[in-house]
Amino acid sequence: MLKISNLQLSIGDTKILDDISLTVRPGEHVGIIGPNGSGKTTLFNCISGFLTPQSGKIIFCNKDLLKLAPHNRALHGVGRVFQNFGIFREMTVLENVVAAIETKKMSGIFPWSKSYQRHVSQAQEFLAEVGLGDKADKKAGTLSGGQMRLLEISRALAFGAEMFMLDEPTAGVSPKMKGEVESLLTKLSRLNKTVLIIEHDMNFIQRLCGRIIVMDTGKIILDDTPENVRINPQLQEIYFGTINNDAHNGNQKGQA
Amino acid sequence: MGQLDYINHLLILLCIYLILAQSFNFAFGLGGLFNLAHIAAYALGAYCTAILSTDYDKSFFYCLGVSAVIAAFFSLLLGAIAIRLSQEYFAVGTLAFSAIVSSFLINWKSLTHGVLGIPNIPRPVIGQIDFYQNSNFLALLVGLTALIMFLFYLLFYGRFARDLKAQAENPYATMAIGKSVSSIRNDAFIISSVFASIGGSIFSYYLNYIDPSSFTLAEMVFVMSIVVLGKPGSFWGTIWATTFLVLLPEPLRFVQINASILGPMRQLLYAVILFLVVYYKRATIFPQKREV
Ligand SMILES: Nc1ncnc2c1ncn2[C@@H]1O[C@H](COP(=O)(O)OP(=O)(O)OP(=O)(O)O)[C@@H](O)[C@H]1O
Ligand SMILES: [Mg+2]
Repeated sequence: MLKISNLQLSIGDTKILDDISLTVRPGEHVGIIGPNGSGKTTLFNCISGFLTPQSGKIIFCNKDLLKLAPHNRALHGVGRVFQNFGIFREMTVLENVVAAIETKKMSGIFPWSKSYQRHVSQAQEFLAEVGLGDKADKKAGTLSGGQMRLLEISRALAFGAEMFMLDEPTAGVSPKMKGEVESLLTKLSRLNKTVLIIEHDMNFIQRLCGRIIVMDTGKIILDDTPENVRINPQLQEIYFGTINNDAHNGNQKGQA
Repeated sequence: MGQLDYINHLLILLCIYLILAQSFNFAFGLGGLFNLAHIAAYALGAYCTAILSTDYDKSFFYCLGVSAVIAAFFSLLLGAIAIRLSQEYFAVGTLAFSAIVSSFLINWKSLTHGVLGIPNIPRPVIGQIDFYQNSNFLALLVGLTALIMFLFYLLFYGRFARDLKAQAENPYATMAIGKSVSSIRNDAFIISSVFASIGGSIFSYYLNYIDPSSFTLAEMVFVMSIVVLGKPGSFWGTIWATTFLVLLPEPLRFVQINASILGPMRQLLYAVILFLVVYYKRATIFPQKREV
């Protein structure tokens, strides 16, 4: 379970997160929407540990995350898929996944060791599952946007994340690949992983999440089912244009 | 110098620079850690060994070991700098740090004899075997260098290389897969400095005499030329580039050139090579950085 209470973060004089409280049940899929600059990525960064809030609490699986260094939060199950692609482009696709698998293992020192071979074959299985099996030896930087997303999500899966924070997973992804990303995310729910998705495409998010949170200027202004969020007048006011456009054009945002 | 002595001399230099360059390549090439204090770790090794083996009559392994431990502590300071400074400023910070070490070497006269340097460093004796002859010394050094290159081979092709490359490209994504960026960097500095220090110890033993002029920025430029020419991050690249650049100026010896010009010409040659490679290969040398 993830329990965030009264999170406050200011940078300089600007309040970026303003009293955020949020509880997410294990296995729940929650969508987060909100206009550009409303603090969605910042919220993720506070949970990952890349930014430190001035006050508030973040409890995940009975651990006080604010007391843990970022990498220890990851070891505790907090997974992250970045808005601007968090894969290692200079490494091969396979190395990306192997690097994640071997974090928790004491092996991998000798390139010819059995344990390393085992990590490689595990990684290959993860890649085959998302259709990247034949790309294993390519540099990750040569993949398409959609393939990079698939790689990054599989990498978090291979690493053993319990909670997935996905920051605009369909940004920079072709319409065809969007379907593949979606089916991988559906699989996460079968595995009973907790998922938070920041997303601008309302139709996409509605198929994946039973609950949607709307953020605006650092606050959570709505927390409801997708149906109710869609018809909420407050949302229509703040967010109307974006949602309607996205439904027709796909996501127009670049990778900010 | 007889012909055999000359060849021995070149091979010994080659071994020392292999150790020095590969250890720099490890931190810089794989990890993007632009540590300009690498020569300071080399100098630490050389001076510790020189002092311990002359004033205190300590044995080969004792000198190498203590020098390495001191270099490891020194590298923790680098780690502390790295946490606080981003890549470009880290280079400046380590350069300043290196200048501090140089100034200690020159000014802490009671310990280092200042610019006069430390003479009469004895060649090592291990058990019953002495290494007074260059041929013996070379045999010892070839064994040691082969061992060190093997260790680096494991590092370059094992998990630690992946960790280093990961943090160089995207520290946030590295943390997101459970790796501590600061420990990866600290480990890299320790490994890199310890081997640089061992290179320095060998250098002391070989020349029997050291002074601060062997540990200047020019030396750093030379090591950088090697690594950049061999392609940063490439294990084999550094090996061939070391061989190439150590041997490159040698033909100059056989032309009738005054020794006072020869020294500066070498430095110029290396600097020009560094400049040309950096200029023409700039796109591939420095790994791209990403933000969250
Ligand atoms: N490190 C930082 N320093 C200063 N301001 C920041 C920093 N990070 C974020 N901000 C500011 O915080 C606000 C929220 O940014 P954030 O990236 O969280 O928005 P977002 O909801 O993810 O937007 P988008 O949809 O564009 O990704 C923005 O006004 C941004 O300029
Ligand atoms: Mg964002």
